[in-house]
Formats: sequence, C-alpha cells, structure tokens
Amino acid sequence: MRLAVALLAAAVLAGACTPVAPYQRGYLARPDMAMEPSDAGTAKALEKVYPAKEAARGGASIGGGGCGCN
Amino acid sequence: MESSASLTRSEALRAPHLVAFRAMAAVNEIQLYADDPVHARVMAAGAITEVRRIEAKYSRYRADSVVSRINAAAGGPAVAIDEETAKLLDYAEACYRQSRGRFDPTSGVLRRAWRFEAGAPIPTANELDPLLAKIGWHRVERKAGTIRLPIAGMEIDFGGFGKEYAVDRAALALREAGARNAVVNLAGDLAVLGPQADGSPWRIGVRHPRRADAAIATIPVSSGALATSGDYERFVEVEGVRHCHVLDPRTGRSARGFQSVTVHAHSCLVAGSACTIAMLTGRDEGLAWLESLSLPYLAVLEDGIVVDRFRESR
Amino acid sequence: MAATDDSRAGGPSRGGPLAALTQAALALPILLVAPRAGAAHVGEVGFATLGYKERGLMKVTEPLLWAKLQLDDVWEFEANGALDIVSGASPELLTNLSGTPVQSITGASVHDRRTTTDLRAKRRFGDFSLSVNRTVSNEHDYHSHAYSVEGEVDLDQKRTTLAVGIGRSDDHVGSSLDPTLNAPRDTNEYLVGITQVLSPLAVVESTLTVARGEGDYNDPYKSTLTFFPDAILPILMPDTRPGHRNELAWLTRYRRHFPRQEGTLQADYRYFRDDWGIRAHTLELAWEQQLGERWSIRPALRYYTQSAADFYSPVVPRPRPQLLSSDQRLGAFGGLSPSLRVSLRLENGLTLEGTAGYVYDAASLRLGGSGSEAFSTLRAAYGIVSVSHPF
Repeated sequence: MRLAVALLAAAVLAGACTPVAPYQRGYLARPDMAMEPSDAGTAKALEKVYPAKEAARGGASIGGGGCGCN
Repeated sequence: MESSASLTRSEALRAPHLVAFRAMAAVNEIQLYADDPVHARVMAAGAITEVRRIEAKYSRYRADSVVSRINAAAGGPAVAIDEETAKLLDYAEACYRQSRGRFDPTSGVLRRAWRFEAGAPIPTANELDPLLAKIGWHRVERKAGTIRLPIAGMEIDFGGFGKEYAVDRAALALREAGARNAVVNLAGDLAVLGPQADGSPWRIGVRHPRRADAAIATIPVSSGALATSGDYERFVEVEGVRHCHVLDPRTGRSARGFQSVTVHAHSCLVAGSACTIAMLTGRDEGLAWLESLSLPYLAVLEDGIVVDRFRESR
Repeated sequence: MAATDDSRAGGPSRGGPLAALTQAALALPILLVAPRAGAAHVGEVGFATLGYKERGLMKVTEPLLWAKLQLDDVWEFEANGALDIVSGASPELLTNLSGTPVQSITGASVHDRRTTTDLRAKRRFGDFSLSVNRTVSNEHDYHSHAYSVEGEVDLDQKRTTLAVGIGRSDDHVGSSLDPTLNAPRDTNEYLVGITQVLSPLAVVESTLTVARGEGDYNDPYKSTLTFFPDAILPILMPDTRPGHRNELAWLTRYRRHFPRQEGTLQADYRYFRDDWGIRAHTLELAWEQQLGERWSIRPALRYYTQSAADFYSPVVPRPRPQLLSSDQRLGAFGGLSPSLRVSLRLENGLTLEGTAGYVYDAASLRLGGSGSEAFSTLRAAYGIVSVSHPF
C-alpha cells in the first residue's frame, strides 16, 4: 500500500515540474549534483562501511554480490 | 589518441610555433609543431596560400573576383562558374533552406543603407524598401554550372561563409603538409586539427561581447572547428539600442536576441552557419535552433545571460 | 570530396538541420574533424584506500583500483578490484554468564583477505542504454559470483530517465571452523528506478530494489550461550536463521543547487524492510560547499534506525525456538554518523578526495526508543583517500 502511494507521488511529482529548457541544464552537470559521489573510489569505499554493521542493504544498485561480512 | 602518436617524444616537449600572416583585412595565425620557425613557415605555406587564393576569388572588394564578375552581370546574362563556386553556392542554399530564408547570400545590398560608425543614422523604411526588393535567394537562377542574378543591382555576397570556408581549406592544407596537432585561426573563426603535443587541449578564449581584451569563457578544444558571431564586430548604437551588422534580409533591420553565439562543429563552415543563423533567428527560436543541432555552443543573450553548453559532459 | 578525420563526422545518421548542412559541406574539398571539447579523455584510472577501525575491535584496510574506458560515446567499460584486509578480534559468543547478556570475545584474532573484482560493459543506443555487470568476490570462507543486466532510457530530452534491472548472485558460505561447510545462498534481484529533473537547479531520483534469496544465512561463527537460574546446564544454540530472505529497499535521493551560495544540498532517504521482520530507515543530509574553482567541502550527517529481526534474541528463550540469532546487527538500534569530505579538482582532471567519518551505533538512538538491551554500543572511525586521473 505504501509502495503504491510512493509510486503515485513520484508520478505526480514528475508531472508538476517547472519546465527546463535543455540549454538550462548547466547546473545539473555539476559533480555535486550527481547521485553517487563523483569520485568513483570514494563511492566504492563507502559501500563497505555501513552495510557491514547494519541489517539494511542496497537501494541504489544490484548485482554487487554478497560477502561474509553480513 | 591518434594525434599524439604522430610526434616523437622530443617534439612533444617543445612548444608550438606561431605563424602569423595578413589576409582578409586581419592578422591571422597558425599554430603547429615543427623543428624550427623556418620549417613551421614551410608547413604553413600551403594553408596561407589557400586562404589568399580564396580571398582573391571571392572577395567583393576585388574587381577580378568571381563574386564581382557575377554581380557585374546582374540583370544581364548568366555567368559560368566552376565546381568549387557551385558547391559553395549549394552549401549556401542549404543554409538558406535550413534557416527558412533568414540566411540569404543576396542580402549584401543592405550594406548600402547601413553605416556602422559612431553617429551614423538608422536607415528609414524608404531607404530599405528598394534594397529589400533586390534581395531573395529564391530569385537567383542556377542552371548547369551557371548563375544569373535577374535584377540589376542584385548582389551575392560570400561574406557569410567565405572566411569559414577558407579556415576549412587551410585545415586541409595543414593536414596534407603533415600537421596533426595544429590550429588555424582567421580572426576568431578557427579549426583545431588535434590537441597540443602532450595531449592537452588548446585553450580557446571566446571574446567578451562587451569588454574588449577580455574573454567571456575559455574553452578547452581538442579537435573540431569553432566560429563566433557577435553584435560587437560592426555596430551602431542609437538611443541605447544596438544595431549590428547581422541584418535580417526580410526586414533590412538588425537581428535581435543575442550578443554573441559560438558553436563547435566538425567544420568551420557548419560552425559559422550555425552561429549566424542563430543570430538571425532571434532569442527563443535561435536557442531552439542551436539545441536542434546537438552541437556544443556558448550563447550570450541580449540581456547578458550566458548559456554555456560546453560545460556538460557527453 | 571532404576528408574526414573521424568516421562519425562523416555520414550523418539522422535527418535534421545538422545533417542537411553536413551533407552540403561534405561535397566540398575541406577537412572535417569530430568536435571534441575538453581534454580528449577516453577514460579514467583511480586508486582509493579505506581505513576503518572499531573501538577495540576490527580494523579494515582496503586498497582498491578502478579504471573506466569510453569508446566513441557508444561503449563504456569499467573494471575495479578491491582487496579487503580484515584483522582484529570479532565477537563470536553472546553469553549471559555474568547475569546480563554480553558479547564474549573469544580472543581468536581474525585475519582475513577478501578480493573483489567487478567488470561492467555498457552500450548506448541513442536514448537507450544497456549494461551488463559481473562481480566476483572471494574470501577463504565466502565466495560470491553475481551478475546483472540493466537498461536505461532517456525521455523528454533527458529530463526523465527510467531504469530497469535484474540480477542474480550465486554465493557459497564456508567456515574456517568447519572445512566441510560449503552451503549455497542464491539471490535474485530486481530494480526499477526513475530520475527526474525538477528544475534547472534540482533533480530527484527514486529507486526500488527487491531481492529474493534462498540458502544458508547462518553465521557459522556465532552462537548464543544462555544460563538459566533454575537449570544447571546452559543452553548453547548456534546462529540459526531462516532459509530464505526477501528484501525491499526504496531509496530516494534529492539534489538541489543554490547558485548564489555556490553550494548544493544533498538529501538521501532509504526505507528498508525484509521478511525477517526488520524495518530500517536511513536519512543522510549533506551540504557540498564550493570553495573557489578547485576545492569543495562536504559536511554530512547520517541517521540510521532499525527494528530487530523476529528471531533476534540475546538469550535463548524457553521453549527453545527453531530460529535464533543474537547477532546484534539484527537487533534494534539507531546510529548517527557525521562525516566530512574535502575534494580537490584540478584543471587537468586530476581529483583528490579525502573523507573522514565517525560511526556511533547504540540502542538508545533507535527511533521511538526500545532498542535491544544487549546491544553493545559501536564506536568506529573511518577514513578514505581517493585519487583519480583521466587519460
């Protein structure tokens, strides 16, 4: 149920955006506007820090395989 | 990368040579790598000769040029033209079509009404109307290697693409002379054959449209051509409104919307036409035009806002 | 005919104004060269190292290397390898001998090396791209082979991006205490995601991943030893978990740039649930502040809270249940982790980044209270140094 609400909210959100002309995309290309840390090394290293101590895992990607750490 | 591989390591450590030359009423330059300045001049010679040849052939200031011959026969018989001229006119035709008539090689006659000097007046409708009657690429008759301007006083002008063509021809000449990492720059319209010897890009400054001797942006370019169109090259300001040399052939009046447009393309011809057509099309449609090309560009809008599409990766 | 320096600069593949102009330009005897702005980078190579230390317990160091390669804006390849070096004591026995359940560190020091290699290939077809990924991870008591396929499509002039993926992981669990153990653990994973540009300054991404796994989830090194006041003998029960695990993780990330302040707000929220009874929330807020052309600094605060698994208990209940784990990573607790990242980006593309963080997990931090009593507070610090260079 909560999932359905969430997806609906996402769809509504998508429709309610201010128009962005393609030539206005300059800011969106900044490294700090990316979803993953812009430096690949930092991003990969962080993947080892929290999941080893918590039960929750994943969210951003799949296919990373498992480890004996959890 | 394919460019750096052609130089030996010792060559790569040296700085490029700059060969300056006069042509098209400006100081132009070629940068390339060579053993010494003499060798550099030899390598650049073919390119410089090409630029001067094109200037001689298509300049309206030379009575013996192809353009002057064609214009002298306006209202008279058709004039025979060679393959190079025919293909250039085919290119101009493509620009005319893609810009829906705004890019018109017959709009040069408007020169007679406009003087871009301080204090010069804006032409009136009375002065422009008779000139507008002589404009219209669709009126030009082209048949099997000939061209005819049907109305006396009509003119064709290669000014909208002649310099860009010269840049591209010079680039070819440099390539044929063996240059791989070089830049040919004709007063702001340029072509980059390949990056500097160490693989890093050339840093090309785009002139600030309102501040002479200042750059509004520095673009790192590894290859390709860059052309700029601006309202600061020749203009007259009356009552705070700037009228520049980029004139709309449908109204005779100055184009509005941009202070300058710079486009990066695979040839200076296409880069130059892209900028000119953008300036002629006005702000919103002009930006849409630039977007439709999917080429990197930098545009300074009339109000000073900078739209920089070079910053985006991929 | 024009000479082209790049096959791409030649024949235009689509219609449109550029194609028309290019066609006409090609007829002329000129040189066409593919326009490349920026450095002519085709790829990037990097090295990072992670150091992690828990108060009195684990120390992990991990060097990792990666490389990315792009060909013709069509293909993208990525390879990375990591080596985990784990050393330090690890709690193995939860015993209530002293009256309340405490973790008994057996004193056996763990030295373990884990190698992970990851390969990815991505191909672009206009607005659509397809990528395949393979990860292999080996340590002396755990082997993992995983792969995934993911498709992405850009819509509405790249304002919206949809992603769909499936993956599978075939793992084998072993034990240094029992050489005969080689139990399988297989997981199927699914992903759907949407990225939406909200305005010239803001973008949001929401991704849902579901994992369904079957196999051996027991931790072969953990057991629970419980003494009862009315019994002479204690009960020792090894870590026994269900033979399956279904997980759902929903991650939403928001980025908003503030041009006047030259900073960006980064907010991430993840909701997690599984069929072991665990519910977890993760919230991270960060502000990345630009300092001049090259430097940026990013303070961040991460809050985490989770409920306990249904079969979690620090003591063996009576009657003795079928499933039991006293692994406190399955308990109820909350955690706060502040971190600071400093980045240096040079004109030639070289990037240097340093991150320092502190992790504090405790039962008292659990959202709404009622964290697990036996939860032993975790205090850890980590540091990451990363260098990457384009070529």
